[in-house]
Amino acid sequence: MANKHTTRPITTGTSVVGLVYDGGVLLAADTLLSYGSMAKSFNTPRMVSIADRVLLGASGEYSDFQEIVSRVEALALAETTQSMESVYDERTLSAKSLWNYLRAVMYQKRSKMNPFWNDLVVAGFENDAPFLGVIDKLGTTLQENLVATGFGGYLAMPLLREKWRPDLSEGEARALLEDCMKVLFYRDCRASARIQLAKVTKDTCIISEPYELDHSNGWNAPSMQRAVGDLDGDGGW
Amino acid sequence: MSQKNREGEVLTGTTILALPFEGGVVVCADSRTSTGTYVANRVSDKLVQLSDYIYCCRSGSAADTQALTDYVHYYLSQWSLDTGRIPTVKTAAHLMRRLIYQNKDQLQAGVIVAGWDPVHGGSVYTITLGGSCLELPFATGGSGSIFIAGLLDAEFSNGMDMAEARNLAKKACSHAMCRDGSSGGVIRTVVISADGVDRDYTPGNDLPFGPVAVW
Amino acid sequence: MASSGSGYDLSASTFSPDGRIFQVEYATKAVENAGTVVGIKCSNGVVLGCAKPIHHKMVVATSGSYKRIHTCDTHIGVASTGFLPDSRVLVQRTTEEAADWLEQYGGKIPPHVLADRLGSYVHYFTLHGALRPFGAAAVIAGHDPDTKECSLHLLEPNGAPYRFYGVATGKGKQAAKTELEKLNLHKTPIAADEAVKQILRILHLLHQESKDSKPIEVEVSWICEASGWKHKGVPKDVLKTSEDWAKEQLEEEEEDDDDDEEMEEES
Repeated sequence: MANKHTTRPITTGTSVVGLVYDGGVLLAADTLLSYGSMAKSFNTPRMVSIADRVLLGASGEYSDFQEIVSRVEALALAETTQSMESVYDERTLSAKSLWNYLRAVMYQKRSKMNPFWNDLVVAGFENDAPFLGVIDKLGTTLQENLVATGFGGYLAMPLLREKWRPDLSEGEARALLEDCMKVLFYRDCRASARIQLAKVTKDTCIISEPYELDHSNGWNAPSMQRAVGDLDGDGGW
Repeated sequence: MSQKNREGEVLTGTTILALPFEGGVVVCADSRTSTGTYVANRVSDKLVQLSDYIYCCRSGSAADTQALTDYVHYYLSQWSLDTGRIPTVKTAAHLMRRLIYQNKDQLQAGVIVAGWDPVHGGSVYTITLGGSCLELPFATGGSGSIFIAGLLDAEFSNGMDMAEARNLAKKACSHAMCRDGSSGGVIRTVVISADGVDRDYTPGNDLPFGPVAVW
Repeated sequence: MASSGSGYDLSASTFSPDGRIFQVEYATKAVENAGTVVGIKCSNGVVLGCAKPIHHKMVVATSGSYKRIHTCDTHIGVASTGFLPDSRVLVQRTTEEAADWLEQYGGKIPPHVLADRLGSYVHYFTLHGALRPFGAAAVIAGHDPDTKECSLHLLEPNGAPYRFYGVATGKGKQAAKTELEKLNLHKTPIAADEAVKQILRILHLLHQESKDSKPIEVEVSWICEASGWKHKGVPKDVLKTSEDWAKEQLEEEEEDDDDDEEMEEES
């Protein structure tokens, strides 16, 4: 029997959401890994910093993501070790070249009928401008001001489109992404309220520690508290 | 042909777990190995030593996991010979991950790699069917693990001592053996710490929990 | 050497009657004609330095030309000397070994293992009639993230790697070793910033003493807490102040020598 490879994901992570704001790029993803419908790990980051000003985030099969990260890290290391410049000139991988490289990798894999089962988000800051791009499991690339993979494509994208402006401040950008993550937590069975934010600007590239979204105001509307299953109710669903 | 069982395959439909404590880890497993619904071995040992201070808990195909642990044992010996050191659990987990990931279509193996090393102390890694490698606060695996997820979430804590960890491991294992038809037999545990390894055997008539006692 | 060696020096695969392999010795000679490399294992890190003679007036003497110090992995620095193309091969091999180890075991290669492996590789070239031994030596500086220790190794064309507190190779080897020994590194290790100064002093001293007055360019790198335990070029401001100190020191020493000479003349 011919090899089937990754035609079904096993250990998965869900959406990655990101946007360009005034002065940088902000990404968000939760830290839940699912094993089928079972929550396997609550604290596993799906966004990594690859080089000085480059972030890579992924949804989909986690083992494929680990493989991609180790390949890319080897590439970033080679960029330094293969350099014939002086020890002072550090060559690093740029976000755009990483994005292009990953397109080639993803396309090659899917053309061998053995895709990496991931949708990838690449963010960076170079030439005084923010960069944000996606690569899907077929090797399709998009460069956008707004990105959302997985369930986020359905649930977060409309919110982002409605609220996004190019001059969004960092605080507004963060609030918008947290809103998206909250909706995903409510409506995606594979999402959790434990999330991370990641930021690239001209000066920094940081990934936050995982933290819990505050959803205390999301369960108390009278329409939610009203019991509808009693005999005098409408039965509800 | 990844997900379908090969005919006549000997499977360790299993309960395995690894719990860390102050200064080490305890690994634990039931002992049932089955072909279909027939118990092929009722006292099997699913805890395999990879190096002096590292153990692997096996679940999935018996043949696959035996081959894998043989390879990792060999690579770790080579690593120790090269470096003159005790291997780290991280290295062992990485080797296992690579083998499983690169051969994921041919293999049915989900394992836990746990142990002690001088660099990180006690640590626990789980490598899933697809070859994802996760370092976790504690790990469970095999068909029985789903029955004890809630119990362990409630009762596991980070500051346990060795006796508490081993008792909890045995308690959880016995609960899984009670509810999972593919787990059963005896409980084997190994405590791994800087002091070495300590094996323990709990016969099937002396489990911490069993259906006889209740209902 | 010619008398006892005649006929036995054409291949690395044949011993001479008095038990020597001349090709390997000649290769070592090639190293002794090239720029000096000095390394110091410190109390809090490890430092590499090398003097690169600028062979030609018209060469673009940026710090990238004649690159002699390489980063072979984030935690490994290699300073090589000898035939430049040969040392490039050594550096390339070091980089590959480090990358292979990382891929295989998922962790950084311990520096002493890297030195051993590179040793086996270099040694292989001393065994075969069809191969030419390396006309290059490598000083390997490394930090082991598992043990948190730094180490310094020298690998010469014979293929035997040795571990050192302080080491020198290349043209000024002998004089540099004498200076290193004065520092008593095996008993009282010095700090990394101090080692940068001492290395610069030694390299400039050797340059002053050498007859040919070709200008040199100095490269210095380190692995220490300040560099995040990664192999990095010593920051240029640190380099500048250390170089000023070194030159001042050398001037003072020269004056002292002059005084001594005068005293001797008087007495």
